[in-house]
Amino acid sequence: MNLKDKIIRRNKVHTGESGFRLLIFISLLMYFFSGCSKEPIREVPPPKPPAPDTSKVTYENGIFVVNEGNYSRANASVTYIDNKSDSVYQDIFRSANSRGLGDVAQSMKVSGNKGFIIVNNNDRIEVVSLTDFKTITSISGFNSPRYIEFVDSTKAYVTNMRKNISVVDLRSLTIKKTISTPYWTEGLLHFGQYMFVTCIGSFNEPSADRKAQVYIIDTQTDMITDSILMGKEPVSITVDRKNKIWVICTGGYDNYEAPTLKRIDPSLMIVDKSFTFPVQQGVPSRLCINPTGDTLYYLNNGVFQMSANATELPTTALIPANGRLFYGLGIHPQTGQVFVSDAIDYVQSGKVFKCSQASGQVLNTYTAGSIPGSFCFTSSSKK
Amino acid sequence: MEVRANLVPDNSGYKKVKFDSLILLPYRDADLSTVLSQISTIFIKSYSPGSLATTSFRGTPANHTQVEWNGLSLSNPMLGQSDLSQIPVSAFDEIEVLYGASGLTKTSGAFGGVVNLVTNPDWNNRIHASIAQTFASFDNYTTEAGFIGGTSSFQSHTRLNFTSAVNDFSYYDDFTMEKVTQHDAEVLQYGITEEAFWKLKDKHLFTARVWYSYDDRDIPPVVEGSATYYPQKMLNKTLRSIIEYKLVERSWNFSLKTSLVNQFMNYRNDSMFINNDHNCYTSFTSARFSWTGVKNLTIKPGLDYTYDYVKSDAYSGVKTRNTLGFYLEAGYRFNDHIKSQLILREDYLDGAFMPFIPTLGLEYKPFNKINLYLNANASRNYRYPTLNDLYWELWGNPDLKPEYDNGLEGGITYNYPSPSGKFFIETALSGYYSWMHDMIVWSPVPVNPSVWKPQNVSEVNARGIEASLNLKWKVSKLQITSSNNYTFCRSTYQKTTSPEDQSLGKQLIYIPEDTYNGTLNLSCWNFILGYNLTFVNKRYTSPDNQSYMPWYSLSNIIFGKSINLHNFVISLQVKVNNLFDVDYQSVTNWPMPGRNYSLTVRFEFKR
Repeated sequence: MNLKDKIIRRNKVHTGESGFRLLIFISLLMYFFSGCSKEPIREVPPPKPPAPDTSKVTYENGIFVVNEGNYSRANASVTYIDNKSDSVYQDIFRSANSRGLGDVAQSMKVSGNKGFIIVNNNDRIEVVSLTDFKTITSISGFNSPRYIEFVDSTKAYVTNMRKNISVVDLRSLTIKKTISTPYWTEGLLHFGQYMFVTCIGSFNEPSADRKAQVYIIDTQTDMITDSILMGKEPVSITVDRKNKIWVICTGGYDNYEAPTLKRIDPSLMIVDKSFTFPVQQGVPSRLCINPTGDTLYYLNNGVFQMSANATELPTTALIPANGRLFYGLGIHPQTGQVFVSDAIDYVQSGKVFKCSQASGQVLNTYTAGSIPGSFCFTSSSKK
Repeated sequence: MEVRANLVPDNSGYKKVKFDSLILLPYRDADLSTVLSQISTIFIKSYSPGSLATTSFRGTPANHTQVEWNGLSLSNPMLGQSDLSQIPVSAFDEIEVLYGASGLTKTSGAFGGVVNLVTNPDWNNRIHASIAQTFASFDNYTTEAGFIGGTSSFQSHTRLNFTSAVNDFSYYDDFTMEKVTQHDAEVLQYGITEEAFWKLKDKHLFTARVWYSYDDRDIPPVVEGSATYYPQKMLNKTLRSIIEYKLVERSWNFSLKTSLVNQFMNYRNDSMFINNDHNCYTSFTSARFSWTGVKNLTIKPGLDYTYDYVKSDAYSGVKTRNTLGFYLEAGYRFNDHIKSQLILREDYLDGAFMPFIPTLGLEYKPFNKINLYLNANASRNYRYPTLNDLYWELWGNPDLKPEYDNGLEGGITYNYPSPSGKFFIETALSGYYSWMHDMIVWSPVPVNPSVWKPQNVSEVNARGIEASLNLKWKVSKLQITSSNNYTFCRSTYQKTTSPEDQSLGKQLIYIPEDTYNGTLNLSCWNFILGYNLTFVNKRYTSPDNQSYMPWYSLSNIIFGKSINLHNFVISLQVKVNNLFDVDYQSVTNWPMPGRNYSLTVRFEFKR
């Protein structure tokens, strides 16, 4: 839509005919007055850097960076980093489907040849084929969805900020039923016959009144069978190789209490270990585990690494933030490399750093979309 | 022929533009955002009909434009800015725009400038009554009535306005790829103003003003298919009152003004369990003395005192603020060609002296018979954090420093009224450079990225050019008037804190580099035909300038006819807005209406 180029081009073609020129001038004027032809005036997303031909790529062996985008701006996107070539593909959902992904993409998970992208502020999950990233279907009807976890090839659970947990039938790709919880549920962990779900509490209550806990759901009956009390805002959950379950609790949006890292013994359904973070040193989040299941990682301004056998919290970061706004964290299930994202200012295109698991040294830097929040590793990269 | 000069050269070295009631007449059914975006150089960021409209004046953020009503700030002390969509044009007569440092005569802290909405008495008036009804697209109705009456020593102005808007326009939804109708964009707004002016022996002037306004609106959704909508509502009830006394003697005069304001706001969002009341009381008192005892010298000392009292559900406890301002203005006329004006301000805020604000302006008029003026000023200005910045529960930051600005400005104005009175031309060109420091930005806290706090982190340089050309030409019965404004503005981020931040030297988001607006009015035999064009260039939507909204231009036409019957005037006015039905968005993902219409019928009685 470059007016100047058009003037130059048109004038070159029609030099010398003054009457004709006048006509062109008038029509250009009209074009200008009518506000740029009939093309709607919409936000132009960031230009995509040259990437290898998308028609030759499939999305079956790599890393998806889920970029939240800004609330109400509907600029969520997915960036793909190919494992083999290390090439980066920006905004692959838009490229494949000729439309934006939506408003606030929270997370993504892969099951078989399908990707499930949770679009929080559209109450929707986009199910895409990993062959070409085209939408297979959009499942709607969630209540501000957060995360998905698969029970098996037929069933998945989705946590919601409002009301309940949704149970998705993976054959029909519809919500089969809901498990009602009065509270905001967040992290999910599939453990044996059970789903462990962290629960933060309700919006309308102050931290003091929020009942933070982990629900244990029997995946055969879809019933909550037990619950374990947690610290305020248990946001992420994972399991180590000794089958101990780990939960990070932020302590509350208002710093109601000190953040904690808690360990659950699922055989006894009790918290058997609890580490308290020093107050005022940050708010931990994004708990991850390495492929061998013996080392935990989390964000607390920088990236921290901690042995599952440790008796104390680490005091120095593996990867210090140094002014960067670390926002998302993932551990490559094959290589164990640390992927951490920098949301910069929550608006401009974020960055992703691939770091060595031993030294934390940055091995590569990739550009992502706006607010890169979570990572999804394809299952084929799991050996 | 009456000459309506826009540019007011009475402030030596400072830029001030005035829009009188005749210019504003076609906009009396509209709100302030519409009129400023169509006839002034101030850029308006308007989200969607029925939704927020804020300003960007000379490349500054919205809270650097101060809107005043007869010298009383309309800003909410919590936010430090006002929503222009809530200010009806029918509530005042004139608009004064004070550019940059010029605003320091009114207040500190408005780096962009001050917009003052003015009503002044016409002592020759006896009775002027009017009522107008506007019917517009999307079920929008506006009624406005006024009664202005009095004698040569007393005048009373009573005005009423009522607006009810559904704003159910249709637009193309890029997400669902179908036409949808906007919903939850209703506005109900009414207001009443009473102003009384009493003059005694041409020496004493008493003024009393009261303005009550009520505004109940939905906060409309973004483009339907793009996000889940949760209904939100905003209610504003505001009562403002001013009492003023002015004493005019031969070599001095004195004025004392005191005012009380109550602004009540309720924001409601049931889905988030939010139902918050914010109640602000402000008392503002200002005393000014002006002395012209020594030849060529004018000295104006003054004192301003503002007390803010806020009781808000978002603050823990009542928050107050005391601001005492010492003011001194000195104007010196060196000779027929050179004048200067010095403005000094010192504010005493909650028990502490704030930095000193000095500003000097110079005016040079090189020729006796040619109305050519050269102006320049150098200024310093400080803006204090808003009460939200300081006290918002959990996230407020009481340790904030004031923002400050060093500015330079220069301009040239020229006007020529032809001796026959048939032709008038006026043109102005000005340039400015502004270095803004310690700008307060709500940004994520490193120790907890989910918490945002206001911090003195940003530095911004704004520089730009403003050019305007106004013409008035009478060709037998036909009268042609035209006004044209062009602005160029580079407003850039000058500081980054994060190593990956790509915003250094880039344009601020949502501030276009170029804007233009122009009007052309033809009138003849009480017919009027007007055309208005606004052009807004590309606006970046991310600080790294990677994403943007493309340029757009909008055209509006107006056609009117008035009939004079003795003391009565009946006039009809038809407006077509967005004439070419441009499918545009001003702010990402907020829908805007296509072509739309309005019809206004007005009855006036004058004696």
